[in-house]
Parts: sequence; C-alpha cells; structure tokens
Amino acid sequence: MCNLTNIAKTVGVNKMVPTVSVPYPLGNPQLRPDDEWALRYHRTGVALDALETDVSEQTIFPVKI
Amino acid sequence: MKLEIGKFFVKDMVFGSKTGYSRGVLTINKEEALAVVKEDSHITEADLYIVNPGDEVRMVPVKEAIEMRCKVSGGVMFPGMTNPVTPAGQGRTHALKDCSLIVVGKHWGSFQDGLIDMSGPFQRNTIYGSLKNLVLVGDTDEEFERREQQKKNRALRWAGHRLAEYVGKCVAALEPEEIETWELEPVNRRESIVQELPSVVYVLQPQTQMEAMGYNTLIYGWDGNHMLPTFMHPNELLDGAVVSGSFMPVSSKMSTYEHCNNPVVKRLMKEHGKTLNFLGIVMSNLNVAMDQKQRSAYMVAQMAKNLGADGAIVAEEGYGNPDVDYIQTIVELEKVGVKTVGISNECTGRDGASQPLVALDPAANALVSTGNVSQYFELPPMKTVLGELESMGRDGLSGGWEGCVRADGSLVMENNGMFCSDHISGFSVKTCMDY
Amino acid sequence: MLKAIHYINQFFGQVGGEDMADYEPEIRTGTVGCTQIFNSLAKDVEVTHTVICGDNFMASRTDEALARILAMLEGVEFDIFIAGPAFNAGRYGAACGQVCKAVKEKHGVPVITSMNEENPGVELFHKDMYIFRGGNRATFMKQDMEKLAAFADRIARGGKLLPAVMEGYFPRGIRHEVFLEDIGREPVMAADRVVDMMIAKLRGEPYQTELPMPALDRVPVAPAVKDLRKVRLALVTSGGIVPRENPDRIQSCSATKWGKYDISGLEKGFTAPEYKTIHAGYDPEQADRNPNVVVPLDAIRAYQREGRIGEVDDYYYTTVGTGTTQGEAARMGREIAAVLHERNVEAVVLTAT
Repeated sequence: MCNLTNIAKTVGVNKMVPTVSVPYPLGNPQLRPDDEWALRYHRTGVALDALETDVSEQTIFPVKI
Repeated sequence: MKLEIGKFFVKDMVFGSKTGYSRGVLTINKEEALAVVKEDSHITEADLYIVNPGDEVRMVPVKEAIEMRCKVSGGVMFPGMTNPVTPAGQGRTHALKDCSLIVVGKHWGSFQDGLIDMSGPFQRNTIYGSLKNLVLVGDTDEEFERREQQKKNRALRWAGHRLAEYVGKCVAALEPEEIETWELEPVNRRESIVQELPSVVYVLQPQTQMEAMGYNTLIYGWDGNHMLPTFMHPNELLDGAVVSGSFMPVSSKMSTYEHCNNPVVKRLMKEHGKTLNFLGIVMSNLNVAMDQKQRSAYMVAQMAKNLGADGAIVAEEGYGNPDVDYIQTIVELEKVGVKTVGISNECTGRDGASQPLVALDPAANALVSTGNVSQYFELPPMKTVLGELESMGRDGLSGGWEGCVRADGSLVMENNGMFCSDHISGFSVKTCMDY
Repeated sequence: MLKAIHYINQFFGQVGGEDMADYEPEIRTGTVGCTQIFNSLAKDVEVTHTVICGDNFMASRTDEALARILAMLEGVEFDIFIAGPAFNAGRYGAACGQVCKAVKEKHGVPVITSMNEENPGVELFHKDMYIFRGGNRATFMKQDMEKLAAFADRIARGGKLLPAVMEGYFPRGIRHEVFLEDIGREPVMAADRVVDMMIAKLRGEPYQTELPMPALDRVPVAPAVKDLRKVRLALVTSGGIVPRENPDRIQSCSATKWGKYDISGLEKGFTAPEYKTIHAGYDPEQADRNPNVVVPLDAIRAYQREGRIGEVDDYYYTTVGTGTTQGEAARMGREIAAVLHERNVEAVVLTAT
C-alpha cells in the first residue's frame, strides 16, 4: 500500500493498492473523522482482497474511496 | 523579448570607504553593506568577509549563493521577493562577474545547507570554490526553527538578496566591459529559417515539495508548490524571476546564482537559429503525491507538444522521490513524440551498488548524470572556518551525521552536503560511471 | 612483487582435452601452460602456483571442487587470484566465476578473470568480480592475458582504478561519480553534454546515455492466499511508526535498523502518543496524531472482529525509508522476511510512505 506506485513498480512490487499521500497513506486531514475511517477501512479491505487474488503481472488494485 | 546583461569582471574585491567598482576592483563599504543586511530586525548578528580561490577557508552552513547584480532598465531584481512584482527579462541588467555572494549561518544549519572549500582537494567540488566571494555570515532571532532540521532561513536569504542588489547597484551607472544580449522572438513570429530547425523546450523541475509555505523555489515570489507547469521566456530565468528555495539536500540544489546563469539555457540560446529553434522554458515543479506528479507530467507534455517541440531537456533539482516526477515527465514527453534528454544526479549509495534513481523507465534512454549524492568524502582540516563546522554533524545537514566532524577540524561527509556540488543547472564537470 | 595464484582448466593446464574434463583439482608450484604468458607480461605480479581442475569435475561436483581448492590454498601466501581467460567456453567461464567468488569470500583478495561477452559466466558473476572483456576463442590468449596482467600490475602499484569501460571489465553493478578530468577526458560541462545529446537524439545520430537504465527488478508473484481466515497476517511499514521512546534507536534518515514491536494488546489499533513516527522524510503531524494513518492496525482489527481475517501476528515490523539506499533496504527486507517466515506469517500488508 503506497502512494508512489511508480517506485513500487520499479522495485518489483507485484500487488499495489494506491494510498492517499506520502505523509498520510491511509488518512486525510481534510475529511471528517468518519469519512477518514471509511477510506482507511475500504483501502485496507482492498489490500486484503488483493492478497487473495492471483495475478500474472504487476497489478494496481483500484480503490473507490 | 530582449535582455542585455552588462558584465563587469571582478579581479579583486576589497573593503573600503565607498562601495564602488573601478578597473576590475570591487570595493565594498562594510558598514553600509551591513546596514542593508540589518534592515530586517530579525538579523541579530552579521559580518562580511572576502574569500578568494586558494584561500584556506571552509564555509558551512552555506544557505545560498547569489550573483551581485542590479537592474538598469526594464524592471527590478528578484521581483516578488525583495522587490515588488514586476516583469523580468527585459531591458538592461548589470552584473558583477567572476564573483558571487555567499550566505552562511553563523551557527545554525539546516537540512538544505552545505559546505564550500576555497582550497584543498575539495575546492573543485563546487563552482563557488573558484569564484571570488563576498561572504555574509549571520544569525537571526528565528527561534521557532532554531532546532528544526528544516529551516526557511528567511531572514538570511532575504538579506543576501538585498545585499546582492545593493552591491550590484555600484555598477548601475558604469559602462559594462562586455554586453551579452539574450533575445528570443515570440514562438510564432520567427523567421522560417528558424522555424525549420528542430524545436526544443527546456523543462525545469525546481524543488517545490514542501507543503508548508516558505521553503520552496519562488517564481516571481510565488511558492512553486502552489503552481502548475507554465511557460516562461528564458530571459525571465536569467534575470532573477526564479529564486532558489530552502529544502533540498544541497548537492542537488540550484542556487539563485545558478538560475541567473543557467548554462543549459545559455547554450540553447546560443544554438537558437543555428542548430535549434529554442521555444522557451516549461517551468514545472516537483510534487509529493502520485496524482500531483502525474498531473504535472501530463501538463508539461501537452504544453511541449502544442508549442511544437520536437525535443525537450528535463532538469530535476533533486533525487529520491522526485525521480518519479523526473522519469514520469520524460515518459509522457516521449509518449507524445517529443524526444527527451534528462539531466540530474544519482544516489547509488556509498558502495555504489544501489539503484541510481528510485524510478526507472526504458523511455528515459538519454540521461546526463551530474554526480552521486552518496559519494563519501574525507576532508582535511582547514585553517579558517566561516560559520560553524559543528553544524555539519549537529543540525541535520543532509550530508552529515552525528560525529562526522573531528576535533582537529577534519570531517567525513557525503556529497549530499557539498553546496550545489552536483550542479544540475549544468555546471557539473562530473558524471557517474560503472565500475 | 605481489604473488598470484592462477586457476586454469584441464585443457590449458596441458592435462588433456574433453576426455580429461573430469580431472580432479590439483595445485602445482610454479607456472603451467598459459600461466607462463602471464608471468612474461606482468611486471609487478608473479604467479607462484597454478590450480588445475577439469571443467566437468567443477560443474558436476562444484561444492567438493571448491572445498578442495580452498583447502589447497591454506597456508599458501598470495595477494591476487587470477582465473582463465575462459573465452566463450561456458563450463570454463562458470568454473572461473565460482572459484574466484569462493576465493574472494574466503581470502578477501582481488580476483580477476576474463571471458567473452557471450559467455554465460559474465551474466552469472559480473557483480562479484572483475571479469575482463575477452575474445571468443583461444587465439585471443595473448591479448586477454595482456589485459589481466596490466590490471594486476595496476592493483599491485596501488593505482586508482578507472571505470569499467576504461579498464575493460564488465560493469559490476556499481556506480560512482567521477570528475571527467580524473579519467583523462575533456571536462565538458553537463550543460554542453545535455545539449549535444539532445541534438544527436533529434538528428537520429548515435549518442551515449550517461545512465544506462538498469534492468528493472522483477519478483516472482507469490501465489494468492486461499483464505485469510486461516493464515497469520502481519503488518510491515517503512513509515517509521515506533513506540514513543524508539527503543532500538532506528535512524530518522538513512536507516540501517528495523524494529519489531508487540501489538497483541492493541485491540483498537495504534494509540497516540504511545506510538509516533520518527521518519524525517515527511511531515509527521498526521502520523503523530493517529499512527493508524500509516499502519492501518485499527482497520485490520476491525476486519479481524468481523471474521474477514484470522490471526494477526503479535508483532509489527518497522523501519524508515528515506535516504535509505536500496542495498540497505534490501538487506532489512531479507531480515524481516526471514523472521516472518520463522513466525509462520503467510500474508503481509506493507505500507510505504
């Protein structure tokens, strides 16, 4: 889970979930606490789904929030 | 747009009763000059020194280097910073050549500060080691950042720019020894013979990654973090519209001196009409988040393409995660058919075995390398230190660490802390090679 | 005068051809066969012993061959180890590489060999030693030996070694900065180099990048976890989240240390200020306010309560990824992976800043 997916790709990461930014990968000070939690819960869930998904090449898993 | 730079070649710099220039001798009235520095009440201590190439002098923590200049017609120096916002890049500017003004902290250093040696084995590592330098050493009351690794260094940097203009003004009314003329016509008003040459843009990615204000490169006084890529005339850069920031590990830094003398831009201007059609500068930025990096890359590519560029030179003021901005911009330019060459430094580790850039792409197939930030140096003691040597190990300078300064005045450090030493602006006479 | 040992195969050791390729390793005092050529060329280095081994013996019984050769070198004084040249002979190239690598690891002396660029030994061993660019067959013996002898002489004289392309060896995956004047080149400013490169690229003329793109790292994809409810999952981060007192003093920049800390009692996720970031490469305000924005332990715990995932490792693993070289990062990664493996962790969520 990282923001700079290009770097992750370069070093060979196979499963990537994009995060919000470098200083707060799974937060966002501009959101209300409830919304911030929803974002973190969602993206962490995408990462869990990614772990259970077979891929054949480097893959960025899309997020909705 | 036409800019004339009237040059005065300084052969000797001395302190004296009246600030002035005559036959190669630059005289500075110290008291008057220090009064200009102290116009800002945040400056608590200040002194001036003159150092020449070959002097046994080490300067650290160096914060900025500026060419001493003044506008004679057509605007002001450093518009939007030390002077009101005014268009730059036109009329006549007078400049004191073969010399610069160096700004040094009397005690306190920061992440972006560096070291200059005026003699010995490391004199050649920065161009300032072979210039005659007026050195401002000062301290401030900026308590809020005294112990911070990241410092805005505002009072000292602004004092430096005021001082550079004050000294520069002594040649305002004199006849230059040489006049350099920089001129480019509007991109669609050029002779057909020029239009037929391959068209090129220079893409500058100055350091703008600090989200808090006050640290980043300024463009007409505007913080580059709050800017999207834009089109500039090369004369604007050469005439002081861009002022260096206070954030980047310093071997990667482009000082304001270097912006005003950017040798890539000068060479492109010289090739203009002969081998190339130099369209101008795409002033981009460096960002923190992936979407910001991607946005700037797309916008640069679009602008270059629609200006009609066949080629682009991309310069990145930094290393580490800005490599993503650098490589991505090259990739997007190549994707729209603009042949692209890059210029920046590398970080291969002390053993040289690490990946040179954090982002790589096969499209980046033409790169100039200006140095390795992690090259390990052992510096002998130096007779005189201007500033405070201990800052290198104490204050979080990017090239130093706790214990890197020894009691006898020698030190070990990484190139990362050598002032502007990778000269990504184009002055570098280094490269990196495989071993 | 430095002392050298020279490794050659059965053919160049004048034992015999393919029929003698199972020849057991032996050491002889003095020079044998092509070794004489080396001694006639080198001025400050002299081969004192020659090791001969059959290519098949080395290929099929590698561990035994290396152990026997290293045993033979016990008590023999030498400063440099030379192998080959192996030209385009695949087995011989691999043998030279293996022997040089083993000798370098045990004795720490410079090891040099020579191969043709087509020799698979180059790809296998170029990061471990100086492999000089050699001819493709034995008729290049003298030329290849000249390069080895000249380089050995330069090592003997303690001269500064030049970049790979100038010395003539294959790059070892190491890059250093150089002043152009130090390698006898015109000190052309980077500005002129970049504009000249631009003009050449525009004209379709040849140019040479100063930073050839290294091959991108590719990692085999791990098979998907079948069911996260049935495995142990761990959290790893390069975002520098540590217990407040940073007990292992992990560095804020250019880290060489990583830590593993107990989170078994943190049912609701990380708490502040008990946990914070020490990462100097980003603004810490948000991470210090709520460390879960960097390591989403609170969300992981929620999924655990809901039964989406099963066990979460009692520890999380952390370091700082800023100014950290790739070499150090890879080492820490290997160390963390080894611990995860020992602890039977089968799934990891790694957050990077």
